Amino acid sequence: MELVWASMADLGRMIATKEVSPVEVVRAHLDRIAALDPKLRAFITVCGDAALQSARAAEADLVAGRVAGPLHGVPWAPKDLYSTKSVRTTGGSKILADAVPAADATVVARLAAAGTIVLGKLNMHEFAYGPEGLNAHYGDVRNPWDGAAHRVAGGSSSGSGAAVAAALTPGSLGSDTGGSIRIPASLCGITGLKPTYGRVSRAGVLPLSWSMDHVGPMTRTARDSALMLNVIAGYDPADPTTSVLPVPDYTAALTGDVKGLRVGLLRAHFTDVAVPEVRAAVEAAAKQLERAGAVVDDVNLAQVAHVAPASAAIVASEALAYHAAWMRSRAQDYQPDVRERLRLGAFVSGAHYVRSQQLRALVRAEIDEALARRDVLLGPATPIPAPVLGERETTLGDGPSDTRSALIRLTRPFNFSGHPSCAAPCGFTSDGLPIGLQIVGRPFDEATVLRAVDAYQRLTDWHARRPAGA
Amino acid sequence: MLALMEISVETMKRMAALGGFAWTDDELAPIQPAAQRLLEALERLERVPLGEIEPTTQYRVL
Repeated sequence: MELVWASMADLGRMIATKEVSPVEVVRAHLDRIAALDPKLRAFITVCGDAALQSARAAEADLVAGRVAGPLHGVPWAPKDLYSTKSVRTTGGSKILADAVPAADATVVARLAAAGTIVLGKLNMHEFAYGPEGLNAHYGDVRNPWDGAAHRVAGGSSSGSGAAVAAALTPGSLGSDTGGSIRIPASLCGITGLKPTYGRVSRAGVLPLSWSMDHVGPMTRTARDSALMLNVIAGYDPADPTTSVLPVPDYTAALTGDVKGLRVGLLRAHFTDVAVPEVRAAVEAAAKQLERAGAVVDDVNLAQVAHVAPASAAIVASEALAYHAAWMRSRAQDYQPDVRERLRLGAFVSGAHYVRSQQLRALVRAEIDEALARRDVLLGPATPIPAPVLGERETTLGDGPSDTRSALIRLTRPFNFSGHPSCAAPCGFTSDGLPIGLQIVGRPFDEATVLRAVDAYQRLTDWHARRPAGA
Repeated sequence: MLALMEISVETMKRMAALGGFAWTDDELAPIQPAAQRLLEALERLERVPLGEIEPTTQYRVL
């Protein structure tokens, strides 16, 4: 088995049985980063020496019989908005180019305690404010599925999407305010989980919009996302929005069984607006689950039509509140698209903001009602595959759309509502680009979401395909 | 039908100044169309009957 293409689960098992050493695993990934990252631009900072040092320590622990868990010695890389002690955390910005945190983010510390090793920090749309994943300061991340044209990896966690897809790292943590985990997962052909709001601590993670931000794993399989979620989920006194609900063993839910699972295929505003190849792939995925015993019916969410302006008002207001001081003193240091989006927050009134939060309750209630009679909802993660850099317009099933709005259209409703949602590959276009589905679950029921995605991945091999461009 | 608010660059400049942002016409003119579209969309939301729904942000299962 090529080490870099092994899953986190397999790496953990091979390390625990001393089939491979953590040093070999880390070195293989660092070699691949050195070979491919000059083209992909997925990393902002590579922590080669520190990673090798941690790998040697993990190996010593293993020899001494100290195994921290199933991810002991397994490498990963966070998006560069997670605070990492003594390693710069830029947020993809010039403003924080030299910012070195004094402590790890809670989830980074939890993964370190689980024996994992940080390879480096991943590129992203500046301050996580853009779904294309572009960065004027550290270079635009390239989608590994298209070596010729410059297609976007999707954002904002673009480095995470490209690095996991191209096997520069087996796993990452992204952040998701309107789809920033699930969009790059969809465009790069990997698995990305946005947990329920409150399931995973955001302490030590640079915010974009406090009430819409979620953090979660980006991996090549649902099982690896479950392994990472096992470590990072749970109450954190440093994040008052985290829940004290017990954290189950998410890997225990991965039975491969979907018999009787009630799946609602999201039609209006979701599958029905996707381009034909995406629509066909998602419908085929629904059929595949049905053949495996799931019970599939159609569902339409009317209130979702209000999500776009209401979430834009919330995110613009909260983002400008966070960035206000820098927008007064260092506006010229933002990349142009992010600066323009931040400026829009100045024109949203308090009444608009509060009314948008009222709409949030309305939309959440409608999704809860749909899930009262179903276990999960299924639809496309993005209505289009990866666009070419600079592609500003696209055509969806209900008419023309700007590309940015199209990218976030299907994921943002579940940031607005807070429901857990996981994106995973469900096919490829005739041009060889990945197509992503998303499966949405009840609040705090990530176990069922991951069970459905894992079962689908046992039935298909889309998640196991490798990009030719990498 | 509600009368949609129109926002000029001059109005934007005054609103920004109230928030402590000294942005120029040249900086605001490129985003005027986006601001106009956002405000029109937000005004259309006024038609959604919300009754006594309380504004909330996210689940609070503590």
